[in-house]
Parts: sequence; C-alpha cells; structure tokens
Amino acid sequence: MKVYIRSAGNISPQHSLDKELFLGHRIAQGGSRMTALEPDYTHFVDAKMIRRMSRIVKMGVAAAMECLRAGGIQMPEAIITGTAYGCLEDTGIFLRRMIDNKEELLSPTAFIQSTHNTVGAQIALLLKCHGYNNTIVHRGFSFENALMDARLLLQEGADNILTGAVDEITADSHAILSRFGIYKKEMHGPGIPEDQKKGTVAGEGASFFLLTHQAQGALAEIRHLETIYKPKHFGDVENRIQQLLLESSLTIDDVDLVITGHNGDPAHDEIDIYLSDTIFRNKTTFPFKQLSGEYPTASGFALWLTSGLIGGQKAPEWFPAIPLPLKHILICNHDLNAHHALYLISAC
Amino acid sequence: MQTMNELMDQLKRQIIERLNLKDHTPKDIGDDAPLFVEGLGLDSIDALELIVLLQQEYNIKLSRAEDGPKVFHSVRTMAEYITEHSPEKTTA
Repeated sequence: MKVYIRSAGNISPQHSLDKELFLGHRIAQGGSRMTALEPDYTHFVDAKMIRRMSRIVKMGVAAAMECLRAGGIQMPEAIITGTAYGCLEDTGIFLRRMIDNKEELLSPTAFIQSTHNTVGAQIALLLKCHGYNNTIVHRGFSFENALMDARLLLQEGADNILTGAVDEITADSHAILSRFGIYKKEMHGPGIPEDQKKGTVAGEGASFFLLTHQAQGALAEIRHLETIYKPKHFGDVENRIQQLLLESSLTIDDVDLVITGHNGDPAHDEIDIYLSDTIFRNKTTFPFKQLSGEYPTASGFALWLTSGLIGGQKAPEWFPAIPLPLKHILICNHDLNAHHALYLISAC
Repeated sequence: MQTMNELMDQLKRQIIERLNLKDHTPKDIGDDAPLFVEGLGLDSIDALELIVLLQQEYNIKLSRAEDGPKVFHSVRTMAEYITEHSPEKTTA
C-alpha cells in the first residue's frame, strides 16, 4: 500500500504557512521556548467562530485549511489528528475558574473546548465533514499513530485523508514541564543550544497533510514509518534503520539527507551522536528542532519540511548543501529519547 | 444605586468580555435587540455562559430552565430579571 502526501499546511515558529517562502527567512527565536508565528486567522475561519477558538485550535484549523487549499480538495474523506497535550490553554482556563469559583461554577466554553479532539472537531464543523474523525493521543507517538490510522483507511479504499499533528506550549505547561527539567533553565540565543546542560527548548506547531494513494501531483511518498519505544541499545535503532532501508531495497548510500530529532539535551542526544558516528557517518544531517523546538508531535514539522524539500526539489539558501534531485530523505526523530520514529520519504 | 440603563450598559460590557465578542462595543448591542439567532446571533453554548455570568456576577441562579428564552431574549429582559431577583434593587 503506497501512501502519498498530496499537500501540506504548517504553522510553526517559522514562516512556514507561506508555501512560496518555504523557510526563506529563517526566524531565530531565543530563550527556552519557541512560539508559533500566527497568521491572520480571519483568512481561514469565519470571525464569529474564531471568538471561541484557543490558539491551538486556530493553529490546527488554519494549517488544515491551507493543506486542503494547496491540495485543491474541498472535502476530505476523513480527519485524523495526533496530539499529545491537546488544548492546554482552555484546560488551564477552566481549571483556574473552577478553583476561583470554589468548584461551584464551570466555564462552559473553555471546558467544552479543552478536550483533545477539539481541533479535529472544529475542522469537521467548518467543512461540514461527516466522515471518519478520530484524534490519537499517544504522547510522542500521537502523530505516528494518526498516520498509521490514515494508512489503514487508505488500505480500505478511502482517499484524501486529512491527517495532522498539533501541540501547543502555554505559560503554565512551560512552567510545569520546566520543573521536571525538560526545558533549559538559562536563557539562550537562537536555535538549539549545545551547552551540554540539561533540558531542551520548547516548541509548538500544527501540521496537516492530505494523504492519498495517488502518486500523480503528490509532493512525496511516505515509504516507510516505524516507531521504537525506549530502545535498549542505540544499536537497536541503527539495526531498524538498516532493516527499513533493506525492506525498501535501499542502502544508506541511497539516502540524500537525514533529518534528525537532536534537541540539545545531552541526555537525549546520545543516540544522535551514536548514529552520526555510525550509520550516518558521511551523511548530510539536519537537526530540525532548531526551527520548531521540541514537542511530542514535532515530527509533523519534520514531515512538512521533508515533503517541502522533496516536493519542491529545492532548499532554502541557508540550508546545508544537499544533492539534487532529492530522492530519499530519512527522518530520524525522537521525543525526549523515549519515543523514536523513523520515516523514509521518497520522491514520487 | 444602579439605574436600569447603567445595569444594561454593564451587562453589555460583561457579555462582550465573557463571550469574547472582540468586534463589538456596547453601542453595537441594542437594549431590546434579540441576543440569540438574530441580533448578536448567540447559540446554546453562549446561553450556558450567560447562565454562569448571572450566577457569578449577580449571584442569581436561573431556577427554571424554561424561563431561559424569556430571560435571555435581550439585554433589557436580562436586566429586568436581575432587578427582580437581586437583593440589590435598581431604580427605574
């Protein structure tokens, strides 16, 4: 079963919604948190509906609408959303009001909109899409499992599956996760600091893809997708990469570029160092989280970047030198070194 | 003591803030204009927010659900309901 990406839409800490720009102007955000650059949402959603939407809902809806517009499809057959954190902003609002009101009064709108499936639901409401609608919540594998769900639907004969990854970082969640030591404590310059100190840089974003079994006009093919949870040894990941390539009748020499999930936390990046010394030795690699920051569905950004590179057969001027035409890109991401995901993306 | 006009103006500001009607000012909301469907075009989720607003801001619980359409018909009907049921009486 072949799965192709017909089109993509993305909102991130970069100007990624502008397809023509395609990261031409790289945005360098400092600190321990990268914030998504948001467009004027009235271009995507009726002003009356925007008033109830939190940031993540607006980001998800706008990315989905841009994806549909780029794909020339008005009505997808299904909508599948992957998110780990869900709608944190609304969750924080209704919990805070419950406390303020001594647990006697709920804030209805924030409560209703706080559930993880709000983004997928709002997209369906806007489109009046009565098809399959599912939200997958599975930490660092949320997006990968959404893609697997989409693949199963495509196998059953459906087409044009709108599949996305959305996660936001709020002031509250950043403060809480910082207490767990997930994010760096010191303020930093742009990108992912290599300071050998604990923690990474928080990120957020929304990515949507229109998946199809038709190769014609598609940006790229998702040739292989594999997940590995907490590998015992770094060699396990290396072996899985070798196996994945073998199953596609390829070797590492056929891979033009490796997009890695290196996140600047020395505790998490040992795997990247190991792979760069072994299987990725002599390969051009690009750590994508310097653009997006770290979040559980960040592989959505990596897939957007990859499909843009392969689909457009060009890279921004500042990007590492890569051979053209691009045939195969390997995404080797991990969320906090627990959830590892491998994608083999090929030109159509 | 608050007059009816002052109460209605206060209600308009609270409705705009509570329902996040960013494009509206109190002047845009007529005293007798319908709040639901026509006029502001509010819906059932907004009705829940208005019930919470009454309870939170005026300490008034809507005792009978069937009174909702009448009470929330317009800013004036809301203000009249608040006046009738509030321990703090307003002047005409």
